[in-house]
This record gives sequence, C-alpha cells and structure tokens, in this order.
Amino acid sequence: MMHFLLLFSRQGKLRLQKWFLPLPERERKKIVKDMTTMVLARKPRTCNFLHWKDLKIVYKRYASLYFCCGLESQDNELLALEILHRYVELLDKYFGNVCELDIIFNFEKAYFILDEFLMGGEIQETSKQSIAKSVEASDMLQETMEEYMSKPAF
Amino acid sequence: MPAVSKGDGMRGLAVFISDIRNCKSKEAEIKRINKELANIRSKFKGDKALDGYSKKKYVCKLLFIFLLGHDIDFGHMEAVNLLSSNKYTEKQIGYLFISVLVNSNSELIRLINNAIKNDLSSRNPTFMCLALHCIANVGSREMAEAFAGEIPRILVAGDTMDSVKQSAALCLLRLYKTSPDLVLMGEWTSRVVHLLNDQHMGVVTAAISLITCLSQKNPDEFKTCVSLAVSRLSRIVSSASTDLQDYTYYFVPAPWLSCKLLRLLQCYPPPEDGAVKGRLVECLETILNKAQEPPKSKKVQHSNAKNAILFEAISLIIHYDSEPNLLVRACNQLGQFLQHRETNLRYLALESMCTLASSEFSHEAVKTHIETVINALKTERDVSVRQRAADLLYAMCDRSNAKQIVAEMLSYLETADYSIREEMVLKVAILAEKYAVDYSWYVDTILNLIRIAGDYVSEEVWYRVIQIVINRDDVQGYAAKTVFEALQAPACHENMVKVGGYILGEFGNLIAGDPRSSPLVQFNLLHSKFHLCSVPTRALLLSAYIKFINLFPETKSTIQEVLRSDSQIRNSDVELQQRAVEYLKLSSIASTDVLATVLEEMPPFPERESSILAKLKKKKGPGAVSVNELEEGKREGGELNGGGERGGDSSAIAASNASTPSPSADLLGLRTGPPVTAAAPSAGSLLVDVFSEAGVNDDGFLSSAPPTVVSEDPAPPLPESNELLNKFVCKNNGVLFENQLLQIGIKSEYRQNLGRMYLFYGNKTSVQFVTFSTTVTCPGELQSQLNVQAKPVEPLIEGGAQVQQVINIECLSDFMEAPLLNIKFRYGGALQNLTLKLPVTINKFFQPTEMASHDFFQRWKQLSQPQQEAQKIFKANHAMDTEVLKAKLLGLGMALLENVDPNPENFVCAGVIQTKAQQVGSLLRLEPNAQAQMYRLTLRSSKDTVSKRLCELLAEQF
Repeated sequence: MMHFLLLFSRQGKLRLQKWFLPLPERERKKIVKDMTTMVLARKPRTCNFLHWKDLKIVYKRYASLYFCCGLESQDNELLALEILHRYVELLDKYFGNVCELDIIFNFEKAYFILDEFLMGGEIQETSKQSIAKSVEASDMLQETMEEYMSKPAF
Repeated sequence: MPAVSKGDGMRGLAVFISDIRNCKSKEAEIKRINKELANIRSKFKGDKALDGYSKKKYVCKLLFIFLLGHDIDFGHMEAVNLLSSNKYTEKQIGYLFISVLVNSNSELIRLINNAIKNDLSSRNPTFMCLALHCIANVGSREMAEAFAGEIPRILVAGDTMDSVKQSAALCLLRLYKTSPDLVLMGEWTSRVVHLLNDQHMGVVTAAISLITCLSQKNPDEFKTCVSLAVSRLSRIVSSASTDLQDYTYYFVPAPWLSCKLLRLLQCYPPPEDGAVKGRLVECLETILNKAQEPPKSKKVQHSNAKNAILFEAISLIIHYDSEPNLLVRACNQLGQFLQHRETNLRYLALESMCTLASSEFSHEAVKTHIETVINALKTERDVSVRQRAADLLYAMCDRSNAKQIVAEMLSYLETADYSIREEMVLKVAILAEKYAVDYSWYVDTILNLIRIAGDYVSEEVWYRVIQIVINRDDVQGYAAKTVFEALQAPACHENMVKVGGYILGEFGNLIAGDPRSSPLVQFNLLHSKFHLCSVPTRALLLSAYIKFINLFPETKSTIQEVLRSDSQIRNSDVELQQRAVEYLKLSSIASTDVLATVLEEMPPFPERESSILAKLKKKKGPGAVSVNELEEGKREGGELNGGGERGGDSSAIAASNASTPSPSADLLGLRTGPPVTAAAPSAGSLLVDVFSEAGVNDDGFLSSAPPTVVSEDPAPPLPESNELLNKFVCKNNGVLFENQLLQIGIKSEYRQNLGRMYLFYGNKTSVQFVTFSTTVTCPGELQSQLNVQAKPVEPLIEGGAQVQQVINIECLSDFMEAPLLNIKFRYGGALQNLTLKLPVTINKFFQPTEMASHDFFQRWKQLSQPQQEAQKIFKANHAMDTEVLKAKLLGLGMALLENVDPNPENFVCAGVIQTKAQQVGSLLRLEPNAQAQMYRLTLRSSKDTVSKRLCELLAEQF
C-alpha cells in the first residue's frame, strides 16, 4: 500500500500532498522535507528508487514537477512508477497538456482525479476511460456558466 | 492568471491564488493570507446567510491556505454544512476539506457521520462514492465504529453499481487496517472471494487488495481464493494484449491486476491440488518466457509494466522456494538484468537477488554472478545502486568467498560514499567474524577497517574485536604484534589507539621479547598518541599504563613519572585526575601480589552472538533488512549492543560508584571489576584509603555511596533476557544469570502440565544483600495461561551465601511469552533492580510420544492446514553434529523417532503438550543440509500458535 504521494517543484515547493495514513502534522512536515531534499539532490539518470526508513521511495520527474511516493517493502517499484505515469496521463487528459500551473490553480481537481484513481493507498481503477468518464460526469453536475459568472468574485 | 480550464472554476479562488503567487516575500504572503482569513471569518460570522457557492469558495480558500502550510482553526462547521448540500461540487469540496483537515472534535464527527450516512443510503452512486472516499481518507476509529457494519453489505449487495463496489472494497480495507476488531467476518466474506471472478476488471482490481489483506490475517477462511486467483491469472497471462481493452497498459494485459494476483498467492504455500499447481507453474513459465520475447513497444512504460509482473512472479517463486528449476531460471533472468542498460532494472535485480541468495536452491546460482556484482560496486554511478550491490555481496557471502568479498568491500570502503560507510563497516565486521577460519585474518580485517574508515567504526565493532581477542588465546600474540605495527603509522585513528591500548595493556608481554617492541618502546609508542586523544581514550590509556606496571615492573618508574606530572594528577577532567591519582597510589602502595591480583588479565567474555548485527538491523530499519539478516537478528533475540551491555553491567556498579562520571569510557576499570567493585576486599579497602588520603572527594568511594536514583519500580527485562531464555529451551538446569554481584542458578522438573523450579540466588560479594525480594509476574495474556506461584525468599543474603526459592508452575493453556522474574535488593545501600525472563517455555510440558513411521506420516498429513504448520529455514549457528542435535531434540521433551524419515539425515520427533485446557499434539521435522550449513525446521501441531511458538524457540537452538 502506498503511504503518501507528493508533488513538488524543482524549487521544493509542495504542489500536492496526499496521505493515505493518518500522520501528525509534524511528521508530515518532516517527510515532506526529507523527500524534497533527498529527491532534489539526485543526479540525472540515476535510478528512480530509494530506501528511506522502512519505506521504498519511488519518484519521477515530469517537466518541472517531481512525483514522489512512499511504498511498503512488499510493493512493486516498477508498478508504482506506472501509477505515477498513469496519474500524469489522467491529469493530462483532463486539463489538456497539463502543466504545473494547472495543478496550482485547480488543486482541488487534482485531488478529485487522484481520488478516482487511488483509494486508501491502493489502486481503485486503472482504466483511463472509466476514470475520465467519472471525472467528466461530476463536472456535468455543476452549475451552468451563467450561474457561475453571476457570482461575486469576493 | 491562466484561464480556468474546465468545469466550475471559482473566480475568487483563482484571484486569491494568483495574488499569493505574486507575493514577493514570505511576509507579503502572510499579510495577504491574514487579510483573506479576516475576510472569510467576517463572512462566516456575518448576519447575511451565505449561499452554497460562497460557502464552497471560502472553504476552498481555507483549504488552499492550509495546504500552503498555515494553520486553520475555523471553517470546519461550514465545511460540514456543505456535506448536506444537494449540489455535487459543494458536497465534493466539503468532503475534500474534511478529508484533508481531519478534526477529532467529537461533536463534528457526529455531524460528519450523519452526512455520510445520508449519502450512503442515497442510492446515488456518485454521492455514495464521495462518502466512501471520505471514510477511507479519514479512516478513524469513530468512523469504523459507525460504518464497519454497513460497508460489507454495500460491497456484496447484488444491486450495487460497479464503481461503488470498487470504493466499498477499498474503504473496507482501510477500516480493516485501522480497526480489524470492528470488521466482523461473516456471510459476506465468501462472497468477497468470488469478486475475483467478477466480469468488471476494475472491481477485481479493487477487491483483490481487500482479499489479500484479509487472507494474510485469516488464511484459512479465504483459502478458496488460491484456485480462483490462479485461474484468473492464467486467463490474463494467456490473453492477447487487445483482449482486455482499456485494462491493457502499453500492450501489457492488466499489469496491476496480474501483480496483485501474484501478491495474493504469496500469502499461501504452493497449491496442493496438482491441477491448480500445474496451471500456476505454467503461468510462471509463460511470464519468464515473455521476458525473452522482443518488446512490443519501445516505450519505457511497456517494459516497466512487463517487468513489474516478472519481478512479482520471481517473488512468488522465491516465496515457494520449492521449484529448483524455476528458481534457477529466475536467477538467470535477474543475472541478465544485472547488466541491463536501465539503471532501475539493475537496482531491482540486485535487490531481488538478495532474497534469492538465502534460498538453498539458488544460493549457488546467485554466487556465479559475484564478479558482476563486484563490478557494480566499483563502477555504478548511482549510490543507491552501489548500496544494493553491497547488500547483495553481503547476502551471497559464505565460507567459500568470504575472503574475496571482504577484500572487495574493504577496498570499496576507501572511496565509498559517506552515507553508506557506517553500514559497510558493520557488514565487513560481521562477515569477517562469521567466516573467520583463522583469527589472524579476522584481526587484520578489523584493523584494516579501522585504518581505512576509522571514523565510521562504531564502538560495537572495536569492542567486539577485543572480546574475540580476549577469548581466543591463539590470536593474542598476533593481535599484539599487528596492533603494535599499526600504531607506528604517523597518523593513526583514535579507534586504533583504543584497540592498541587495550590489547597491549593485556597482551603486550607476548611481544616484549623482541627488542623492537620492548616494554618501554610499547609504552612510548602509546604515550606518543596520548595528547592527540579525547578524554575517554586517555582514560583507557591510563588504565593500560597501570596494567603495564604490572606486566613490566621495569616500566614502573617511567609510568609513575608520567602519572605524577601535573598534566595528569592535576588534570581538569575529574575522571582523568581520579585515575591518575588512584593508579599512582596503587602502584606505589600495593605489593606486587596485590597488584597482580587487581590487574590480572581479563577473564574471557561470556560467549555470545555478535552485537554488531543488532546495530546493523537497527540502522537499516526493519523493512530494509534481508530475510537472511532478519533470521540472524531473531536468533540474537534482540541482544543488546556492546554499548548497552556496558550500560547494563555498569548500572550495577554505578550504583555503588556514583562518582564515576563516564562509565562508557571505562574499559579496564569497570570490566575487570576488582579496582572499582568490592569483589576483592583488600583492594576495596585500599582504594577507599587511597581515596580519602588524596582528599579529592569527601564521599566514600564504595561503602558510603550516595543514595542512588535507581527506581523502585520493577526494571524492564534485561535486554539479554531473551537470549538467556533461549539457553534453557533444551535443558532444565544451569546458571540463568550472573553479574558481578549475583549469580542465579536454576533447576527444574516438569510432569504433565505441572512444573517445579528451584532458583538459587548466590551472593558473589563479601557484603550482605539486604531487603532481598523477588516477584514473579505473568504479563498480559500469560496471566490466564500460566499459573505461577513463588514461595517467599529470605530477605537477607550474607556475603558468599546462597538462598533457594521454589516456584510452582501450572500450565493452563498454551502460551507464547515467559513469566518475568524481578529481583530487588540493596547492596551497600544501593538498590539493585533487575528483571529476567523465567525460562518456562511451552515445550517444557511435552510428553514424548513414540510412533511408527506409518503412523507418523499419517498424522503429519492430518495436520496439513497451512496455519497448523510453521516452518523456518536458517543457517546453522553451531557445528552440525548429529549427536549434539539428538541431545538437543531429546532435551526439548519430544520423542526422537528413529527410522521414520526416509532420509536418515533428517530428524523427526513427536510429542503431546499437556495443558490443563487441552492436549496439543505436535510433530517436528528437522532437515539439515550440511553442504549449505542450513536447516529447514517444520512443525505441525493441532494448534497454530503452538507450531509458531515452537518454531520460534527452536530456530534459535541449532
């Protein structure tokens, strides 16, 4: 089972954090700090896996963003790499050529898409079509554009 | 500000986010945030009721602020209100807020649970999924209490939508992991297993995670999943990549599901049904074959997915450890990966081979790759790959290649990354000790280790070399000579000085005949390092000097001169000053006889397993230790590391010698005992005199020690107590424990489910022990499993005397733990408090059962449920002597059955454990493999806990 998934920029700015186990705030901050320093210090073309305490860390860089997750010892590293990749594909399909800014400005969408894909640190659905369909469906449930435009900005 | 891409962007939120991004400094950001918080607070508190949209927007802003790393202390109520909105997005944001900012505020939890309950019963699949996600994200016990009953119903109900089933399965898994006691097994469990057959691949993918976890905990109840999993796997493996439509990932059919199926199978032993097993072996072979086929795509995603399945299949093959053919194929496949251009594959191949190395079938095959692995250690550019290579070398090391591997690791150490040096040092030290045929090689290796990587040589390592040198007189002369030579280097590491000081202080006489290493030369050499060393090392050197005075009377005047110098006798460090003063007095007052007694050669250390292993284990963390090391770690039974032992020893002494500020520095003094403890009365009183004469401190040294701070509560069990316990598994009499003050002997006898134990407490000192008392307790569950009654014991033990205590034991039902024996007494005013494990183990209640070969195997087969069996494969700890093995097995209490096993090398035993509640029949089979120096131990009992416990106990014995 995956323990956490973090997205951070090359400058170490955290863009998304998903914790699949309840951890005290202090511990989360420590993990974020350790992950960013460890992963950002890696040289190019090194392998995508690290050991950290009793977890396996799997990370991959997509453009300016690092995707980094913590796995238990019996989990499969290669498959975790593909979990990260599939998540990127899903974001890409939703936003259309996703970039870091999309995730900053629509962070809640990034969480919702992740929720369709993973739950409790395990894969819920691997089909890109099914996930895209349920994300689209929830978008359909929203107000019309007129409703939206008539709302005050503050 | 970029255009909001889709759906309902919230303009206010986007404006706020871009404001934050435009902030030039942290202060500006905080200012902007505080402004926003004030705004939101006033909106929430305002008289005007907010509409759903505004509420959603503000809650979302709060969430954003929280995710930036700021504290949020309001808005929870508004978020909870959103949960009951009919608008999907409002509900969704509400749930997201709750999931991210879990609050244990019980009032709120009740409201949240209410909203969840409504959504779960709404029959709207999107709402149900949101609610299930929230439960899984929060996963608290309160939520488990509220929903653990409901979710299994949703999961198996016939009319539940597929997407809801997927969420329900994983939500239930989450709750089961937090609160297994609240998820009750029932009728639904059998229907869950059949989800493996579900048409919808997504449902199978989600459900299998749940099934795997449940199977691990209740293997029996879920064992039907094995054949279902095999047939599902076989269908996937043999399908064309187009068959599974969207579940094919870069031309690989259902990689996630395949891996999870293979993982599920790893919860069980190989299938017993021949047809199922045949089908599975076929699958595994197909997977191995596919690895050789040309790739269907050049994309890394394709090869990753394909190899993920391959590695998982190899894990299963290793887990079964019974198909030599597959094991060797797996090893060859990994061998190919060792030279692959993908760094990731090289890394994983090294990691996977570590586990293969511990299988007796593939150990040799792994060894053939030694050159490649050594090469990887030397040439890999990535430190984490090098580290895996070092791990693998460690795992594949045995007697045949130890010298090569240790040499390679040593030479790698010279350039190794700082981050892994300490671990490498520990590994080299362990291998050198484990496979030392001649101990001069061992001494060379450790001294090299100190020379190359002195900073990373922890105390455990150099304590250990000293323990070994002290205990083996054949190597003492060599050690003295080598360390003497090593010390001649102009710059040598402080750890080398420590080892040198200790060893020359003990065995310098063995090389003193050579004029090049005459006593004075030795002393001058050591003393030339003195000023460069830290206080603890200087303290050790001073002790070495006083030992020199005893070994070589001709050095006495020189050394006294040194001790008398102001830099020693008036040293500002109290420990050094004290030693200088005491040693000077000792050398001038005491007669040669007294001196010889006080400074006698160190007695051998009790034989024990290396403490370095424990250190390595601790350093790496549980997940990172290979099976092999774990096995060894267990054998050690959590033994203390060297430093801790010192602490253990010295706590007794520190009580009587509260003025020693740094016991850890004190090697000679504390360990030898006489100079500090009262064991030798003449030396003791002499020291007291010396002390008061010197007038450094008014406190008496020994007898009038200040009241100590030892707690009156029973001490936690000594760290070595597990090891002590293991000593008595196969015998009933012996010395249970011994330190400088106290010796505890033990004699015991058992009949049926009853036992009687005699404990003999011997006072080793000349001073009486007062308020001596002992208590025996059964911690936790043990209380209901074992009835232990201890007769009271005399509260006073005279110096040199022994008292006896009788303990009656009744076994009510089978048990895992051992009773605790706490001993308290005062010695010279200081409270001594120690706790040991009483060696009462389940096997003591065995009645041997003789039976013929036919009967044995019939019973063996009857006990064939997987949980009735416990098995361990482990390296031999002692020589594999048939007679010794027989004696141990007899000591265990079972009947040793001759001419039963078709292989005469194997041992089989049978017996019945007598408890008041029931009788538990147990069968044992021990298969030694002399070539690999390994054993396979199998136990089958009518009760699973008994097999497990016996297996644990016995694996420590051979």
